[in-house]
Amino acid sequence: MIIIGEKINGTIPSTGVAIASRDSAFIADLAVRQSEAGADFIDVCASTAPEVEVEALKWLIDIVQSVTDVPISIDSPNPHAIKAVFTDIEKPGLINSVSLEADKTEVLFPLIADTEWQVVALLCDNNGIPQTSEQRLEIARQTIDCAVGYGIAPSRLHIDPLVISLSTDQTSMTKFIHCCQEIKSWYPEIHITSGLSNISFGLPLRKSINQSFLVLAMGAGMDSAIMDPLDRDMLATLLGTDALLENDRYCRKYTTAYRQGKIGKSKN
Amino acid sequence: MNHSDNGGETMIDVNEITQQMSDLDEAALLQSLAEVINAGPESALAALQACQAGLEQVGKRFETQEYFLSDLIYAGELMTDAAALLKPALAEAGTATLGKLVICTVKGDIHDIGKNIVVTMLGAAGFDVIDLGVDVAPEVIVQTAIDNDVKIIGLSSVLTLAVDSIQATVDAFVAAGLRDQVKIIIGGNPVSATVCEKTGADAWAHNPQDGVTICRGWAS
Repeated sequence: MIIIGEKINGTIPSTGVAIASRDSAFIADLAVRQSEAGADFIDVCASTAPEVEVEALKWLIDIVQSVTDVPISIDSPNPHAIKAVFTDIEKPGLINSVSLEADKTEVLFPLIADTEWQVVALLCDNNGIPQTSEQRLEIARQTIDCAVGYGIAPSRLHIDPLVISLSTDQTSMTKFIHCCQEIKSWYPEIHITSGLSNISFGLPLRKSINQSFLVLAMGAGMDSAIMDPLDRDMLATLLGTDALLENDRYCRKYTTAYRQGKIGKSKN
Repeated sequence: MNHSDNGGETMIDVNEITQQMSDLDEAALLQSLAEVINAGPESALAALQACQAGLEQVGKRFETQEYFLSDLIYAGELMTDAAALLKPALAEAGTATLGKLVICTVKGDIHDIGKNIVVTMLGAAGFDVIDLGVDVAPEVIVQTAIDNDVKIIGLSSVLTLAVDSIQATVDAFVAAGLRDQVKIIIGGNPVSATVCEKTGADAWAHNPQDGVTICRGWAS
């Protein structure tokens, strides 16, 4: 399971304040703690006004790179902002994200064509998020074909089938599962990812829904997630599920995480 | 530091190997063992003993609940792999086998996790282990001992009910006229000094390492 640590995101109020006030210690702490918890990528999303986004991203990237070797997931809705900071990033990471909206693939795919960079691809286009899974799968086909056209192998793609909140679409989970299974049947080596928490929007006990979503999605083949690795319950669910799915020899990752105090009752 | 030196070519650090086994650090352990094999037969024996010492530490870390059952199983697999890796070098060194030994889970009990760990450790210690599996009747054990001229019998159990089967097995050796020719060790959850005395077995153990030590004492 690939964990993309989501904590350095300006839409989270405390992080937004830290970015606005250039509180580097706060950002460094988030990077270190997520790395220690086992994040495979550290997502960096400024969420500032567009005219100051590049500057904020560069500031964030410098801090993260100075405290951890974990690669960066560079996160912006604006492909030109990603392009502008791309060369500041020292080691191949993850582009978060492309879709078939506007010029995203045209700007970003050439950038990573001859590199080891990976990329998140959202299944939406200029018409928004499609209603049916068939439409989303059509977008997946086009996106994968486009990537392969640039020499980007499917194994470098993290397809995000996009999750509508269950409160507004009762078929949200079942659609997600259908997309997962179908895409994995085309390319077993492709990654499926999701930003977990959308599913529970508008419902009480969101954490419970999020955990159930994680289990069902992993069962359907999701092997990457944009999540908070410092959420001990979520991490325990993830590690337990991975062991149940035969992805953790002798439950070593699960028991080691427990021994290290990353899951289970906090020892602090 | 306890070094084994083969013609001054390669030094192996047995404490390091013990630690790697104890930490279940597979990559580091396999790397160390690869170096040992290059260092020659004498080193192989020292390395095997270092692995056994590490396995004993794993058992202790399990008892203190630092390790879990899956870790114990993993340790058993690592020990099997280590023993298999070292075997050719050990054979070259002419390491004497400790002889044959029969082991099983007694009739009426099908628990084999503990027994399998002991089998691994006995094999690693140099015994030629005949593992009859689980739910094994007394007469099968006696016949196997006769057919293979085996002098050491290990009886495993988890259920309290299995104590009756231990008794029946000891009695079967008595009835066959072989009781004074074999040593019987019993192990598992329900055994104790009292059970050992009551059933007429020769020894008992809860800890796998203790069991191996007792068997080794009998064999030599």
